[in-house]
Amino acid sequence: MFSGLHATIEGTRAALASIRAHAMRSALTTLGIVIGVAAVITVVAVMEGLSASIDSQLDDLGSDMVTLRARTSQEQAMLGFANKLSYEDFIVLKSKVNNVQDMSATMQAFTFGSKVSYGRETIQTQVIGTDANYQKVIKVFPQQGRFVRSSDDDRRRRVVFIGESVRKKLKLPDNPIGEFISLSGEWFRIIGVAEERGSLFGFDQDNYIIAPFSTMASLAGSRVTENIDILFRPAPGASLDNVQAQIRQILRKRHHLSGDDKDDFEFITAKKTKESFEKVTTSVTLVAGGVVGISLLVGGIGVMNIMLVSVTERTREIGINKALGATPNFIMLQFLVEALVLSLFGGLIGLLLGWGLAALLSMLMPGMPGALVPGWAIALSFGFTTAIGVIFGLMPAVKASKLNPIDALRYE
Amino acid sequence: MPVDAVISLKNISKRYQMGTETFYALRNISLNIERNDYVAIIGPSGSGKSTLMNILGCLDVPSEGQYLLANQAVATLDEAQLAQIRNQSVGFIFQSFNLLPRASVLANVMQPLVYRMIPTAQRRDMAEQALSRVGLSDKLGHFPNQLSGGQRQRVAIARALVTKPAILLGDEPTGNLDSKTTQDIMKLFDQLHEEGHTIVLVTHEQDIADHCRRVIRLVDGQVAQDSRNDMQTREKMHV
Repeated sequence: MFSGLHATIEGTRAALASIRAHAMRSALTTLGIVIGVAAVITVVAVMEGLSASIDSQLDDLGSDMVTLRARTSQEQAMLGFANKLSYEDFIVLKSKVNNVQDMSATMQAFTFGSKVSYGRETIQTQVIGTDANYQKVIKVFPQQGRFVRSSDDDRRRRVVFIGESVRKKLKLPDNPIGEFISLSGEWFRIIGVAEERGSLFGFDQDNYIIAPFSTMASLAGSRVTENIDILFRPAPGASLDNVQAQIRQILRKRHHLSGDDKDDFEFITAKKTKESFEKVTTSVTLVAGGVVGISLLVGGIGVMNIMLVSVTERTREIGINKALGATPNFIMLQFLVEALVLSLFGGLIGLLLGWGLAALLSMLMPGMPGALVPGWAIALSFGFTTAIGVIFGLMPAVKASKLNPIDALRYE
Repeated sequence: MPVDAVISLKNISKRYQMGTETFYALRNISLNIERNDYVAIIGPSGSGKSTLMNILGCLDVPSEGQYLLANQAVATLDEAQLAQIRNQSVGFIFQSFNLLPRASVLANVMQPLVYRMIPTAQRRDMAEQALSRVGLSDKLGHFPNQLSGGQRQRVAIARALVTKPAILLGDEPTGNLDSKTTQDIMKLFDQLHEEGHTIVLVTHEQDIADHCRRVIRLVDGQVAQDSRNDMQTREKMHV
């Protein structure tokens, strides 16, 4: 007698009327789903925005840059060993390895960064000793003045190139070129200020000082020069594998490693960094997804609960409709649609709320990139809420459809 | 069975199992009700008149026997098929009106048409016609709680009429009304009968039974008396 479509349209109409009649209760019922979906969308949006921004920042950094650094295995570290790359390693590599460009040595001069002062201001920062090639590999450009040159390195000049945050924190003038600052009591002249890079994950990327490698090495003594990082790029068209193989052969020989020994150094590429970031964001998304799944389950149980209450409350109404000719299927469809509308409505509100929340978060948190809601998250949310509506709406709907009309009509 | 019978019951029994004992609500009832008849079913409480009413209205099925409603065998139908029969052939009028509280007068009367494939505009026309028949054309947008008892029962009667059913089935239709309103509602039933409707009323009030042409008295689930009121009794009631 009924076509499915007719029954669906009439069922939807009846369901909407009933939801409207209990607006407050319906709103509270959907709250669980609203919160669940809002949480999914917020987490996904923030994570997606983050990884999109990491990708682009890593690309800016020069995706072909490779860092070579000493690697100490856990066993060795527990025995008190710390492997090192020395300046001599660098010199040998620089002269022997083919197909590389812009190879530079950098050292972290921790002792000098601990007390940097200008006038009355004193700050802590990161001091890197490196050579002119560093600029080409890491792509830092001066916004004022110039970068460290080979001549600075050759003559062990006491000059520094500073990040924008250092200038601000030390309250240096807008143009600080020629000013002198003190690094742990040693005086250095400022020769340039870097372009601002902003922050990533809330980490300030402009809080650093770069000084010539040889200057820092001579001031720090041999203790620090023992361990350095080496940055390089493969020459255009050259294979990275080939370059790495050359370096490995030279270093293993220099470090007296035999066949079974593991490398005491490692290569870090932008690609590798990207992959490990992706691993982190994926697992955060998965964990958040699990938590959210549980909250959606709870939301679904809320919908079922209220639908059961609604069936009991409307027993007489169901009886009247049955007396007037409503078939069991019609009644079932009506209640199913009602549960579905409730949960989909919750899903929609949750989506908008989550979107807004993610946008707000990325606005409020410093260094947070813009939120991004991918299509799959929207589809997933709606798929999930639909499933919840159907699964948790089915039991009350079946209960309503099976009511005996005589008993239902008598129900007070 | 007369060709013109709207209702034909043959050996209808309804029994309930109560523990080890079998209880008969109806026992071997056979009767015919013809088109345009006006029947009262009376009897003390527990006589089985509600059970008979439920079976006549296709809300329930007999344990045994054959029931033809508008020439259709309904004793063995399932719930979905019974729902369709109720929608097409039965117009219910209840003691407690049983209007949908959250629906307007018009929506209440349109409701049975929802279960048919009838376009909304046409539903509206039909419902307005039925409401004008019971004199409530000016209350279309009202809600049941804004109406008096008599008006509510008129809405229920309009809702029963709107599907053009084979029988109008009233279950103590004036049980919740005062005597003045009862008179009005019974007058309406009398008119509907004169217009050709087949009406069956279940009642325990003699006044109501006196309006009808035929009175069936049930005692202990059996027909104890089946008589026709003479015209004089009915004339008296029409005054």
